Amino acid sequence: MSALSVAFKDIQIFLKDRGALFQLFLLPLVFIVAYSAVTASFETEEQDQRIPLPVVDLDGGREAKTLLDGLDRAGGVQVELIDEKDATQMLEENEIARLLTIPEDFTEGISEGRTVTLRLVSHPDASLEKTEAVRLVVEGVAQDMALESQILASLQQMGEMQANAPPEYQEAFAVEKIVAQAQSQFDRSQDRPLVTIEQTVPGQESEKEELPSTAEVAVPGFTVLFVFLTAQATARSFYDEKKIGSFRRLMAAPISKASLLAGKVVPNFITALIQTAIIFAFGAFGLSLLGFTPVKLGNDPVALVIAVLLIALCSSALGVVIAALARTESQIGGLSTLILWGLGTLGGSIIPYFILENMLGPIPMALPHYWANRALDDIMVRGMMLADVSLALIMLLGFTLVFFLVGLWRFDFD
Amino acid sequence: MPPILEVDNLVKKYGDFEAVKGINFEVEEGEVFGLLGPNGAGKTQTISMLTGVIQPTSGTARIAGHDIRTEMNEAKKINGLVPQDLALYPTLSARANLNFFGRIYGLSGKDLKERVEDVLRIVALTERADEAVEKYSGGMKRRVNIAAGLLHHPKLLFLDEPTVGVDPQSRNHIFESVMRLNRERGMSIVYTSHYMEEVELLCKRVAIIDEGKIIALDTIKDLIALLGGGVIHVGLERVDDALLARLSALPGVEIAVLIPQPVPPPPAEEEGPEVKEREPVTATPIVKIVAENSQKAVVSVISFLNEQDITLTSLEILEPNLESVFLHLTGKKLRE
Repeated sequence: MSALSVAFKDIQIFLKDRGALFQLFLLPLVFIVAYSAVTASFETEEQDQRIPLPVVDLDGGREAKTLLDGLDRAGGVQVELIDEKDATQMLEENEIARLLTIPEDFTEGISEGRTVTLRLVSHPDASLEKTEAVRLVVEGVAQDMALESQILASLQQMGEMQANAPPEYQEAFAVEKIVAQAQSQFDRSQDRPLVTIEQTVPGQESEKEELPSTAEVAVPGFTVLFVFLTAQATARSFYDEKKIGSFRRLMAAPISKASLLAGKVVPNFITALIQTAIIFAFGAFGLSLLGFTPVKLGNDPVALVIAVLLIALCSSALGVVIAALARTESQIGGLSTLILWGLGTLGGSIIPYFILENMLGPIPMALPHYWANRALDDIMVRGMMLADVSLALIMLLGFTLVFFLVGLWRFDFD
Repeated sequence: MPPILEVDNLVKKYGDFEAVKGINFEVEEGEVFGLLGPNGAGKTQTISMLTGVIQPTSGTARIAGHDIRTEMNEAKKINGLVPQDLALYPTLSARANLNFFGRIYGLSGKDLKERVEDVLRIVALTERADEAVEKYSGGMKRRVNIAAGLLHHPKLLFLDEPTVGVDPQSRNHIFESVMRLNRERGMSIVYTSHYMEEVELLCKRVAIIDEGKIIALDTIKDLIALLGGGVIHVGLERVDDALLARLSALPGVEIAVLIPQPVPPPPAEEEGPEVKEREPVTATPIVKIVAENSQKAVVSVISFLNEQDITLTSLEILEPNLESVFLHLTGKKLRE
């Protein structure tokens, strides 16, 4: 009862603080829109550029050169010749997203009119859309090339036959006959293409990982960042209570320390939940009004609710730790900035954690923000279920318990 | 009737620093008891221990028989604290503040509403109760601060420097409220202050506290009686034991003693090995003369000094009040 009274009072105070209301509820939306807009413009610029296409040319012949020139002229892809020895390793290490291999017998096969196969291999993490675009370009150029080659060969053959034929047979080489022959070659090239493409993805058992859209990155990331930023409000609330002296009055009242702490933590918890609801609602409905792709909330609402509750609880517990460590207002500001923005940045709230993992290795895993981001990303972006995100949720629970214990241990009630 | 508060050798230490050095006193039921001492004397620390804000290092106290070490929760229901700080939430109204503190003491519903109205009446703020506290004057804030300590009808109220920073009108109102609570509701009050006028006005018995120790505890009348027929401070150019003995033997004088004067520290900018040796700084000696009769003693002391051709540098006749008692007992002024 006393804890609820403390919580109710803190919420009353919070509702009168317009600056805090803006910071907690509107600022995240501003960040999401700004981030989505900026990164979307980068994406647009990227789409305007040609997709790099590393090629291993095992043939080196005339037809291979014609194919490479054709790819270059076609636009959409930028051909980069690389050595066969490096190619496999580069693909495995995701240094290149896809690789086109021209077989040794390419020129010979085309010349002899038999089917040859180009091999297009893509990394499991490569964008499916881009790979498909590359395939279409290669296929188009190869088909044109084969068609040209077949029709030319056909016409050449007819020319030779006409030159050697007696005058009474010249009628057989009338224009309509030549056109019919060309049409026949064209139909044949459609039914039995000279060049085919074999498209493979090594380690296909590992699901292809689509990169999320900017909004899909921004909404969970900034939710985690701003929910944890509420920890600063908790710490400041403790400080203000001590500063104005009401903490002494509360300590002199028949209220237990546990109730007092719980009462101070509950408003942060409620604030974090409201904040999350607002951000999610904005992500799901508001972003589309501004012309951005709306985010999905995943396939498991129970998992999402549990994740949100744990993130809010973890943030509240972190607030107690900051309140316990900081003695002055400036220390609260400094510590909060350092801890909350630092953890947010390193934990994948601003730069997606799957990129940070490549840069920092396992370091982000030591941070609560990492597990919070991972839980939300897995649920919302990848559509995972409760069982799939249990590790992230357990880690968040662990951080929450540790923060509460450290906070209680270090908190100065005197 | 047993005392409502019995303090038994209470000690508070912070590392090596002893803020409260084993104090003992009792407060009778219905009494207004004064704790008088300069800032930093240990008054707030003592009250903080008695109200459960901080834990004593050793010793204990009983509030209406409840030991504060083992039954603090029971003791907290009996006592009330009006802290020195304005322990109020500035953006909330006086009524919202009082509702909150009432709920903390377990009040609710009609009972809470009536108590809030009651304390607002006591501090005469009913009409402005719905304004945010931050819009109040210092005196009004102090009155709400007191009201918050009265909500649960405490039998023993600790008022810690309740008039700091208030205008004379609000101060008088606070005095009236304290006296009325004591007179009409029989509330026992422990009143701490470094203003001796307030303590003299409100309290019958006073403990004078300095450097964490109670150096005198009695009724105001008996404390002032410590000054005897009066106390005179005489500044002289030079003093020795023979002179003090002759002053003590003068008519109207009970005893003459030298008040130890602190030697002023050397100026910081002169410190350092390269600084030239300077003249030693000595304070003018002050002799305290406890008189059997202050008028007679002044005449005989001045005559004697004239006869002996000793230059008088200062002369101060202390008024018979608690300030003089404190000066008499410690050699310091209350507001130093």
